This record gives sequence, structure tokens and C-alpha cells, in this order.
Amino acid sequence: MSIVDSVRETRLEDVALWDVGKRLGFYGSILAMVSISMFPVFWILLSSLKPPSELFVFPQEFLPYTIAIEDGQPTLVQQFPLTLENYRTALQERPVGRYLINSAIVASATAFIDVVLGAMAGYALSRLRFPYKLQVLLIILFAALLPFISRLIPLYKLAIDLQGTAFGPFFGLNQYLGLILPYAAFQMPFAVWIFQAYFNELPASLEEAGLMDGLSRVGVLFRIILPVSMPAMATTAIIVFIYAWNEFLFALTFMTQDSKRTITVGIALFGGQFNSPWGTITAAVFMSLVPLMVFMLVFQKKIVEGMTAGVGKA
Amino acid sequence: MADSTTGEQNITRFGEEGLRGRLERYRELRITEEELAIALLTPVMLFLLAVSFYPIVDTVWASLHTGYVIQLPTQSTEFVGIENYRKLFSDGSFWNALGVSLFYTFVSVPIELVFGLGLALLLKADFKGKYFAQAAILFPWALPTVINAKIWAWLLNPDYGVISDILVRVGILSAPYPFLSKPDVALYAMTSITIWKTTSFMALIMLAGLSSIPDHLYESARMDGASRWRRFRDITLPLLKPTILVALIFRTLPAFQAFGLPYGLTGGGPGEATTTLVLYTQQAAYNNPGPTNGGFALGSAAATVITMIALVIALIYVATLYEPEVR
Repeated sequence: MSIVDSVRETRLEDVALWDVGKRLGFYGSILAMVSISMFPVFWILLSSLKPPSELFVFPQEFLPYTIAIEDGQPTLVQQFPLTLENYRTALQERPVGRYLINSAIVASATAFIDVVLGAMAGYALSRLRFPYKLQVLLIILFAALLPFISRLIPLYKLAIDLQGTAFGPFFGLNQYLGLILPYAAFQMPFAVWIFQAYFNELPASLEEAGLMDGLSRVGVLFRIILPVSMPAMATTAIIVFIYAWNEFLFALTFMTQDSKRTITVGIALFGGQFNSPWGTITAAVFMSLVPLMVFMLVFQKKIVEGMTAGVGKA
Repeated sequence: MADSTTGEQNITRFGEEGLRGRLERYRELRITEEELAIALLTPVMLFLLAVSFYPIVDTVWASLHTGYVIQLPTQSTEFVGIENYRKLFSDGSFWNALGVSLFYTFVSVPIELVFGLGLALLLKADFKGKYFAQAAILFPWALPTVINAKIWAWLLNPDYGVISDILVRVGILSAPYPFLSKPDVALYAMTSITIWKTTSFMALIMLAGLSSIPDHLYESARMDGASRWRRFRDITLPLLKPTILVALIFRTLPAFQAFGLPYGLTGGGPGEATTTLVLYTQQAAYNNPGPTNGGFALGSAAATVITMIALVIALIYVATLYEPEVR
């Protein structure tokens, strides 16, 4: 049915005001939610582009330009000049680029470890028969319930003790691995769970077909199972990456050297508690948000799908 | 199973198959399910043992001794029993932090749950621009907590904050209000910020749960003339129960361990109005790591208490939830 036909067929009383209202209400709610979610980011961007003199006034300007009617002509009136000054200061005074690279290294490595080990364990727990399976699964999930703070002090002590020993370069203070290994361990139960739930959904005939074709069990794993588990891998990688990118308590404790700090710690230690340089802080914060916004736009669908696989089945 | 040998057959260590047979199978990478499972699970188990379970035990051990002194290996530690716990329980700041954490957790999580469910019901529909709307709404969840804290510290700035600005413009306030420097208000502000950030995560989980409810249930209910509210109450809510319980665990435990938000927003102040348990523990341990005061010992005791409380919360949830899905 073409649109014209459907319009012709719809009697006027059916196009109830109610429907229009409902639609308006729906889009209104969505718009409101988007605004509430994104307003802080807009405000950070705006603040970061303001000259310092504009930053510390009340009330604040909401837009750099307004439209005024002068002599019957609408004209743009500048409220304040936009400037990149804050960005220059942020980049010159603090190694924001370095922080971002550190975060990227730590988060990627953590995601990689959890995908590999999580897939292995998830496969075993879902597809293989072996004794004490339930107990093993419970032990792994139990680890997820343990608070991070109760693992911080011993690991910190360990890192200090290992400083200067042969293990120092691997798991000492200011070593990437000092963050990567704990992060990977903390998110491991989650990764295992995602993979286990995903493999449970795969039909057994997949492997049977492979075994009939003369592949070994390991062959089935590499040739058949791994290629079809890309979605679970992507989800795990993304969610673990976001976790590692965002973590703060361990990053603050283990990275004492400025050049090794992650972006979260770097920004948290920008300026003092009072008298903060808000111009440069907002610039640095916005720079840290850009990769995140791109990430969310690109991978949002995968995140939603992954949670569906992991959570919906619980 | 191929490996289950009787005592009689089990003459050699390798059972009926014999060493040669085993090597043969390995050479062809034809190993049994059990062996493959052990090979696949060992790395994860070792990892968890070293980085999750050992530290917990060490924390409990440390909490029963005098402060262990880093970089002074000659200093020995001494068993003091529950002395550290006595010190902890007689510290008013600890009880304050416990109260702050409990308030923060058990006020924010239920509100997030309700808002998240509402948001998920909105996002379930197909509409133009859904992809961008969803990405924008999920953005706060992906925002690093401590950066979120910095953002809101600027939005709530006592002199130039835009929140005050907006409230003044709409006539609710007459002048900028220092939300974060009033002891009563700061905790409410912090709780609200968490609700703002985490509602999107709740929505994500709820969305997952909603999508697992089969459509035909709604169809037949509609045919039977069930109202929208009836359908929600009699289909959506009961079928969503497992999801809700997962969401509660996912949010309660992290909320109970809040650290980055108070650290970046208020530093735990004003006074100790927003000092959560983990912030208290971190400060006790790291601001005071001297040999005599034993900050690490006191911190370990506090960490152990946090672990206990977290496990009790988890147990209560799990007892109502757990249905293992193992084949």
C-alpha cells in the first residue's frame, strides 16, 4: 500500500489527536534523555573553548553568538570569542597525549588477555564434560564478588617488594603489567561468563559435523568454534577495554610516575582540590572524551548485543 | 568415559591405554575432553588464584598483625589478633563511612533500577535515529568515573556552576548554591550524579532482559484484552525478575565500593560527608603507612570488613537468584 492509499483509507476520526500526542511524547522523552545525557559534555566543550575571563562569570554565557534584531535586520552578536588557548595550555603543561597512549596500551592488553583466556575457559565450561564443572564455574564467578580494595594492599605491597628484583620490570610500580594483570583478573569472571553463555547457545551439530569430517577436538576448536565466536570476542573485548580505560583506584596507586599515568589519573591529579585551573581541565577532559564518543558510536550495537547474550540468559 | 579405569586395569599410572597410547594421542592432538578442559581452564584458575584469591587471604592475614612496613623487610610483624578491628570499630570515621556507603548504595541503586527500566522500555521501540539516541544515552555509562567527577565538580561549581545558573534562570534559586560544600547536600548531590551516570547501564541490562521475552506472549495477552498496565505487570515484570536480580548485583557491589566519584568530586568532604568506605580505607592505608600506626594493617582490617559486607549482600541476592546453567 502506498502512502497515499493509506492516507486515503485512514478516516479522519482515526487519526486521533491521541496518536499524535503519543508520538510527540515519545520523541520528546527521547530528546529529553539525550539532552540530559549529553548536556555535561556540551558544557565541557563550551567551557573549554571560552577565554579564561568568560569562565569565571555568573551567569554564564550559553552560546558564543546570539541573534539580535538591529534596525530590522537580524544580526549575529558575539558574546565571547572562541579560543583554543585552553587546549594549548593543557597539552603544553601536561602530557595528555602520553596519558591517552598509556590508557590505550593498558586497556588493549587487558582486553586481549581476557578474550583469549575467557574464550578458553568459557569453551571448556560450556562444551566439555569433566568432573567438578559446576564447582569450577562457581569459583570463577565467586571471584567477581570480591571487592577490589581487599586486593589492592597486598598487590601494592607485592609490587613494592618486587621493585629492583628480576620481576620488577614486569610487576613493579609504574609498569604497565602492574595494571594489566590485576585488571585482566578482575574482569576474567565476566569474560568467562559471556563466553560460556555464548557457547551454550551454539548448536552441538556444529562440532559433530567437524568431528565427522575427521577434525580432532582441537581442530574443531580452531577451525569451527573460534571463527563463529567473533561476536562474543568483540563484546568481551569492548566491555573489558572500557573497564580498564576507566579504572581509577589501582591506576592511582600503581602509577606514581607522571609519564606512566593513565588518562583518568592524569586528569584527576590536574590542579589542586581548590583553585582548579578549570579552563585547562575542561580542555583535557574533552580531549579524553573524544575517543570515548567515537568508540560508543562505533561499538554501541555490539555492547547492547553482548549484554543480551550475557545477561538475558541468567 | 575412556579414562575411567577399574582398579584391576589400573596397573600402570596411565591405565589401560598406557604411556605409548597417550603419547600417540598427544602427537595427533587427540586428547580427551577432560584433558582439554584442564588445559583450557588452568590459565584462568592460576590467574584468579594469584591475583584474586591470594590477595584476599593476605589482606585477612595482615589485618590480624601489626602494620607491615614496606621497604623495611627487617621490621617483623606481630600477631595481634583482633586489635586492628578494635581500633577500626572505635573509629567514628569508620562508622560514618559505613553510613555514607550504605546510604549512597541503597538510595541510588533502586532509583537507577526504576529509571533504567523506564528508559529501556523507551529504547525498545524502533524509531528514526535510534542508533544515535542509544549511543548518546549510553555515553554516561562509558564515562570514566573520576572524569565524570571532574565534570560535575565544574557543573556544580559554587560560584560559576551552570547548574546553579540554570536553577537561577528558571527561578528556583536566587543565587549560586554551593551544592558540594554543604555537608547535608553534598551526599545527595553525589548520589544524584551516580544515578545520572548509571541509569544508562541499568537500561542496557533491562533492554537485554526485555529482548529475551517472546513477543507472542504480548500478542496473546492483547488478544485477551489485557491493558498495557496488566501486560507490564503480569508479563514483563515476572519474566524480567532474573534480569532485575542480575542488575542489582551488578550495581550494588560497585556502588558499595565507590571510590573515584568522591575522590574526584569532593575529596570525601566537606568534613567526611562524602567519605565512602573505600575512600576511608584508601586514606587509612596510604596516608598513614608508618610502622607504628600500621595504616596498612588498619586498611586491611577495613578492607576485610568491606569484603564481608559485600559477600553478605551478594549471598542474599544469589540465594534468591542462582539457577546454574551448566550442561
